[in-house]
Amino acid sequence: MGARVLAWVSLSVLLVAVGVPFYWMVTTSLKTSTQIQSLTPYYYPRPVTFGNYVELLRGTGFPRWIRNSTAVALGASLVTVLVSCLAGYSLARIRYPGRRLLATTVLVVYLVPPTLLFIPLYTILNGLGLANTLWALLVAYPTFTVPFCTWLLIGFFRSIPPDLEDAAMVDGASRVQAFHRVVLPLAAPGVLAAGLFAFTLAWNEFLYALVFIHDGDLKTIPVGLNDLMFGDIFLWGQLMAASVLTTVPVVVLYTYLQRYMVEGLTAGAVKG
Amino acid sequence: MLPPDAGIGYLFVLPLVVLVLLLIAYPLGSAVYLSLTEKYVGYPPRFVGLKNYVELTGDPVFRKVIWNSAVFTVGSVTVKLMIGLLMALSLHQALFARRLVRGILLLPWVVPTVITALAWHWMFDALRGFINVSLETLGLIGEPIAWLGQPSTAMMAVVVVNIWRGFPFFGVSLLAGLQAIPADLYEAAAVDGASATQRFRHVTLPGLRPVIFVTTLISTIFTLNDFNIVYVMTRGGPGIATHILATYTYEVGFQALRWGRAVAVSMYLMPLVVVMIVVLARRLTRED
Repeated sequence: MGARVLAWVSLSVLLVAVGVPFYWMVTTSLKTSTQIQSLTPYYYPRPVTFGNYVELLRGTGFPRWIRNSTAVALGASLVTVLVSCLAGYSLARIRYPGRRLLATTVLVVYLVPPTLLFIPLYTILNGLGLANTLWALLVAYPTFTVPFCTWLLIGFFRSIPPDLEDAAMVDGASRVQAFHRVVLPLAAPGVLAAGLFAFTLAWNEFLYALVFIHDGDLKTIPVGLNDLMFGDIFLWGQLMAASVLTTVPVVVLYTYLQRYMVEGLTAGAVKG
Repeated sequence: MLPPDAGIGYLFVLPLVVLVLLLIAYPLGSAVYLSLTEKYVGYPPRFVGLKNYVELTGDPVFRKVIWNSAVFTVGSVTVKLMIGLLMALSLHQALFARRLVRGILLLPWVVPTVITALAWHWMFDALRGFINVSLETLGLIGEPIAWLGQPSTAMMAVVVVNIWRGFPFFGVSLLAGLQAIPADLYEAAAVDGASATQRFRHVTLPGLRPVIFVTTLISTIFTLNDFNIVYVMTRGGPGIATHILATYTYEVGFQALRWGRAVAVSMYLMPLVVVMIVVLARRLTRED
């Protein structure tokens, strides 16, 4: 009994610690700048105003940044799903020399930090004439989305019993047909999860977007917000409105992704 | 003789291999080369051997950056592990609404890091931020504290934000680890008369060790390379008080425009990162 009370006390503390910044973010976005700047604190907006949202959508590049972020994240996740699906299936199911080495490489590559890559990648993209275009991000983002999603999908394909595709192949289907007709439909939830992970990873990315893009019209949301922040005055109301709008889609996606989350990287450790 | 379907296997994995070679292996190789050159933007690189590395070793700014990175990483990872353990153990105890609570506690890990850093920048704001405002309301401070404006508090602030963002990853991984410990081990220990503390020490902790090890290593790699939180909250300041390897690499590369030197800065991470990656890869690809 005591242990359970203690558990709930610590969970409550953690919930408050997690909740306060979100509370402050949402309430700030609904305050007028007078309320935000007021010397007597406004712990909640009174009255509530949507002025910050209107200003953000009318007076800043935010709508543009949303379009850029969406285009890049969609493009990157499509490429990722295609590459990771094929590679994940191949590494999970088909036997050939070098397979284990390749599977290890996927993991290693996932752990290579962008800090080591961003300058050489920039020189390469620059050489290809892609710097300062959204194509640069479309080329760069698969460097982290593909390893992550392939790793996820290797595990996912392994969890599907091989009997069904074996049966299909005994019945005369080729490997490609078995993959296409039998495995893919079964793997659809995992493939969708991989695609959504790729989308959120790309949507959240900051360093490459900061380095590769200079043109104000081509910025993605995180970089655009960073610019908005270091203007002359900090427009906290608008910044928090933008934060809310950027966070909502990710949170919605993660309610679906939650159960795939841990399987991604620590699965091996949990089992072992 | 190759196994049947090996050709299709290779064909399917080919796009991945091309991507890894062109966009990861080749850039890493060229990073090593770039770090041995003097490369200014717009000019071809000039080979200078180990000059960048030697100069950095003697540079007090760079030494401070290394120290900051160590403080940032060790401080963040240690506390993340402790809070994550607390979260996992508590969730494991709680029978009611476990999934919902886990989902909510996972939120900081889900939010784009730049947004997290922005929101916390505002939380720490000296004049109207939530922290100062509520401390004043409670009468705990007489005048506002410039959290991000003083070296010691600025470092603490970025560490706090990194902890806030990263502890759920530990919590969720460790919870999965806890759930994988067979219940009969606890029952056997209880039958043998082990107290709760003894059960924790002799059943829970050994059972969790592999997950703790892997999660800590993964988190260390990513914390050591964190860029977003520091860049958005302090830009490495005040002065160089919160500059860590990633932000300093960016500054040398894109403010001072000295690419060779900048890559050399990031290369100092390479040996440590390589060791951690090799250990992790061995652990996680072990066939069970």
